[in-house]
Amino acid sequence: MTGTQRGPPGIHSIRVLDPLTTEDLLSRAAALSVLGLVSAAVLFADRPGRAPGSGGHLTAGQDTAVAPLGRSFYFTRVAYGDLLRGRRGSWATDYPKADRQFLIGLRHLTTIDAYEFENPIRLEDPHLRRFPIVYALEVGYMSLTDPEIVGLREYLLAGGLLVIDDFWGTREWANFESQIRRVLPEYVIVDIPLDHPLLRSFYQIDSILQVPGRGGGIGTRPTWQYDGYEPALRGIFDDQGRLLVAINWNTDLGDAWEWAEDPWYPLQFSNFAYQLGVNMIVYGMSH
Amino acid sequence: MVDWLFVALFKYRLVVFERGDLVFDAPWPLAVVLLAGAAVAVPATVIYARTHGRLERRDRVILAGLRLGAIAVLVFCLARPMLVIATVVPQQNFLGILVDDSRSMRIPDQSGAPRGNYVGAQFSPDGSELLSGLSERFKLRFFRFAEHIERVDDVGALGYAGRRTDLGQALHSARRELAGVPLAGLVVLTDGADNSGTPLTETLLQLKAAGVPVHTVGLGSERFEKDIALRRVAPPRAVLRGSSVSVDVTVTQSGFGRETVRLTVEDAGRILSSQDVRLPAGDEPVTVPVHFTAEESGPRVFRFRIEPHEDEIVTENNTLEALIVVEDDRRKILYFEGEPRFEVKFLRRAIAEDENLHVVVLQRTAENKFYRLDVDDPDELEGGFPDTREELFAYDGLILGSVEASFFTLDQLRMIGEFASQRGGALLTLGGRHAFVEGGYAGTPLAEALPVVLQQDAANEHRFFAEVKVELTPFGRSHPVTQLAASADESEARWKELPPLSTLNPLGEVKPGASTLLLGRTEDATDSYVVLAYQRYGRGKVVAFPVQDSWQWQMHADVPLDDLTHETFWRQLLRWLVSDVTDHVRALTSADRTERGIPVTVTAEVTDSGYVRVNGAEVFATVTAPSGDVRRVPMEWTVERDGEYRTEFAPEEDGLYEISVQAEQEGTSFGQARSFVQVGDMHAEFFDAEMQAGLLQRVAEETGGHFYTPATVGSLPEDVSFTESGTTVHEERDLWDMPVLLILLLGLFGAEWGYRRTRGLA
Repeated sequence: MTGTQRGPPGIHSIRVLDPLTTEDLLSRAAALSVLGLVSAAVLFADRPGRAPGSGGHLTAGQDTAVAPLGRSFYFTRVAYGDLLRGRRGSWATDYPKADRQFLIGLRHLTTIDAYEFENPIRLEDPHLRRFPIVYALEVGYMSLTDPEIVGLREYLLAGGLLVIDDFWGTREWANFESQIRRVLPEYVIVDIPLDHPLLRSFYQIDSILQVPGRGGGIGTRPTWQYDGYEPALRGIFDDQGRLLVAINWNTDLGDAWEWAEDPWYPLQFSNFAYQLGVNMIVYGMSH
Repeated sequence: MVDWLFVALFKYRLVVFERGDLVFDAPWPLAVVLLAGAAVAVPATVIYARTHGRLERRDRVILAGLRLGAIAVLVFCLARPMLVIATVVPQQNFLGILVDDSRSMRIPDQSGAPRGNYVGAQFSPDGSELLSGLSERFKLRFFRFAEHIERVDDVGALGYAGRRTDLGQALHSARRELAGVPLAGLVVLTDGADNSGTPLTETLLQLKAAGVPVHTVGLGSERFEKDIALRRVAPPRAVLRGSSVSVDVTVTQSGFGRETVRLTVEDAGRILSSQDVRLPAGDEPVTVPVHFTAEESGPRVFRFRIEPHEDEIVTENNTLEALIVVEDDRRKILYFEGEPRFEVKFLRRAIAEDENLHVVVLQRTAENKFYRLDVDDPDELEGGFPDTREELFAYDGLILGSVEASFFTLDQLRMIGEFASQRGGALLTLGGRHAFVEGGYAGTPLAEALPVVLQQDAANEHRFFAEVKVELTPFGRSHPVTQLAASADESEARWKELPPLSTLNPLGEVKPGASTLLLGRTEDATDSYVVLAYQRYGRGKVVAFPVQDSWQWQMHADVPLDDLTHETFWRQLLRWLVSDVTDHVRALTSADRTERGIPVTVTAEVTDSGYVRVNGAEVFATVTAPSGDVRRVPMEWTVERDGEYRTEFAPEEDGLYEISVQAEQEGTSFGQARSFVQVGDMHAEFFDAEMQAGLLQRVAEETGGHFYTPATVGSLPEDVSFTESGTTVHEERDLWDMPVLLILLLGLFGAEWGYRRTRGLA
């Protein structure tokens, strides 16, 4: 039983009554791609509760928690630092298409009652605590303010899970590490082993692929950026072995979700990105 | 004074009229007397009727009536009325004197002295007017009684040390012992504080049938001037170690109205809880909910105590004890969730540190795909939700999350209901988009088990959603599940601070017999919904918790990081749910605390592996006394109920008795169960120890006797003499010369004369 031990949880098991083969995954990914194309109009429709044309643009003073309540899961993206979009390293990279497209996959593949649209929120917003899993990316350039540090720390210690994605190389790692140390100075970053329950919660994932950004991995094009040659799945656990932060380094799940319907985007990477994304959500909703 | 006046007017005491029969013994035949009376009455009436002049009709009627009344009194006297009454022949009859020898007779409320002193003064060999009055007429036989009755030569043998009072048994035994002699009746000197629990009705009927009147003399006061008493504690039979325990303690007072006293709970001398109690102004009892945590495992005797006040007449009733078995088992609960939800994550976290709870999660993550968490072995739940009774009934509790009814087969739905009703398991149903009415459960076998009413036509076309502020119901205020703090007031304050939850299941009605602990009110307070309700269903408990995000009590920004409300609530809820769930053998005793010599009935329920009751099992109770002596007692099937076995034993030592029940059939063991009985001094004599006048009056009236107090007992010897029992003679007592008749006659004549004077007729 995991409840009484410290460190990463122990006995867990998963049984897939209808095991997915590689062909199944490929056909599902293909179906997703079609789904993505068909739903293009939906993807970029204005979401309920948000003023037309304001999607993704958050300004100071804007209420970021505008999603109608009552659903089991909201794909919640952390809006940190400068809220203006377009700069390199913005919180809003791939936003909102990646969010919406991932949600289509999540809703299709699982029984999760997931809200169909994006849900950005600032770290100092008290409503952050309504969403126990949040997603942040491009943290290689992230610079958190003191209120954001406090908001994120309290969120994580209360039971929230932060999923990090899309930052590359040692330089960006160093920036992220310095920022997260301000949030959780008492905990260390460790590798999440391949036998960790997170990699068994929905799909059985036996290896960590490097998911390239759009344009990468095609033909002989490299999948890495800067000196981020090896992908890594790391985490920060608390004293009870509970995962507080899941870190996807040297990989870009968000781009794979965003361009899953692109016939030029390599299928194996979008497949993997969906698998890992679904696993993290299912794990984060049960651990 | 009243008695004296009665005798002055009617010549005899009231009891003579009650016991005697009215007869007429005129020297002439009664018809002659009546004719003579008529011969006088008719002319007198005619004369008045025919007289004219100033007489008005009203005057004639009044004067004729007065004269006829006087004639009637004269006729009554001429008929020579008399009472025929049976009286005992002196020294030919026996009278049983039963004296209460229990400890309550030491209470000093009989004119400031112990009740027993009155007995000593009246019945000591030195003699008293009462004793001599009785001994002149009867042969006296003295008995002392408490738990048992015993013949004694005189009251000097009384020590007032009996631990219990069994009045019915005493009357029954005394009658039997004196059955061979002419018995004029029984006189019982007692406070009437019977604590045997034995009904008196049958004994009284036998006494009445045998014609043995019982005369009762009530000693002591009907209400103590100054006293505080704990009347009752209502503890659970068993709890899991570390659980919050709620016990209702009933307190009464006299002479201390509106004062504040301190109520403490101790376990082996260690104070677990202490709280101030404001006593009520009047006689009515007040129920105080007491909360504490049971930290030590095993059978524990918890002591509830109010510090005695120096003015109190009785201090022994300030303390009550309760035996609670604190289990240290690991209870296994299956949580089946139809979709990934954060309730799973936070529920698992809430009970993660609880060594007595093991929640196995079976979560449907996709169609026909399940995620299992915290299973004991790789095969557990491999086929998804259990489809056999053996597999499901292996759990002590079952939590159903957001999973639609159509997921289950009809057999599985029935099996879930039977999990509670037959197995005695605990069923908790959570809210969600596929729960209750929204999950299609209306009209299913499971709907019957739920404490809430599912209206078939209540399903919303559109998804219902409401945020509700949760509040305690009056019942929830004292329930162990909803205690969030050490005291009830702090707990209630905490509930008011908690952030709202959301529900997708608008349930507003609970079934008759169900209890609601929490209600949810919308922000505008226009609607309220059930948030936590439960009912007993067969042998088990079924709870409805139709909200979907109790994790807000952990995550919400208004909840401090170190707040343990969410953990406390879930641990208490699950512990309470499964604490009394038993396996295939269940053992119960008729009392958890008793005194030496009082038989204890042990009842066992035996079920097979599918929790079907078994009648032909070999069942034994192994009774281990405090000294270590072991007795193996066979238990017999009661025939009244399937699977129920019973036996009895009488504890002979003070201390803790352990009763272990084993059941087997053809070499297959069904398991065993334990129960405990604490034997010792219950101080029962000091609870409800006021003089019970109502009971003593009833005993006297139903047997043809009289009820007395020390103030009225002087007439006892004469009253006892008038009886049909024993060797008696019939006495005739004239009534014609009663002073009241002369007064009446003179009054009638005088009235007639006076009326005539007033009207100017004289």
